[in-house]
Amino acid sequence: MTEDKGPRGYHDVGGDTAGEIPKVELPWLHWEKKVEAIRGLLGDGTRRIVSLDEVRRGFESFGIEKYNALSFYRRRLEAMTDILVEKGVLSRQELDAAVASGRARWRETSGSE
Amino acid sequence: MTRFCEGDLVRVLALGKAGHVRIPHYVRQRTGEVVGYCGTYLNPEDLAVGITGGKAVDLYRVAFAQPTLWPDEVHAAHDRLIIEIYDPWLAPLSETSNAP
Repeated sequence: MTEDKGPRGYHDVGGDTAGEIPKVELPWLHWEKKVEAIRGLLGDGTRRIVSLDEVRRGFESFGIEKYNALSFYRRRLEAMTDILVEKGVLSRQELDAAVASGRARWRETSGSE
Repeated sequence: MTRFCEGDLVRVLALGKAGHVRIPHYVRQRTGEVVGYCGTYLNPEDLAVGITGGKAVDLYRVAFAQPTLWPDEVHAAHDRLIIEIYDPWLAPLSETSNAP
């Protein structure tokens, strides 16, 4: 097969040798469900803020090292965040501040229990 | 009126597009048979770069005999892979395939 099939992204692995496939059902973590819920809201027909294809374009542009280092939902989360920043919906500073305050709140709550 | 009908033989193009495309490398330049029509959708290649007002495109379900994709001893000729492919990535196998 020498015919030109055009560019192939690092994510486009169909047909590659993958070795043994681990047949283990992974738990669907709460934060992962939240990522999907938020993505669904951002992409729905009334908002159209971030589409699933934009999210895919995002993690397909990570570069192979970052892509392979992250889990399925971490890829989606990181790409979704990148696109929100790209579109000016939120800034890195706002996001960092929100993460910091969320962490602080979590520490307080878990410390008091 | 859609460009293809069930039973039409089609070849998947290699459009050489960079960016987000939904057509995996392993089906490009392969010949399959249209087995269904899925409707009209916004082009994911547009959506991927934030264009929500682009032209909608037809989506077809296309079947490939497994050995046309994976030519080895393991894949039986009666096994098929069925995948959804957008109209711009398909070409008629012969110019007469749609003739009455």
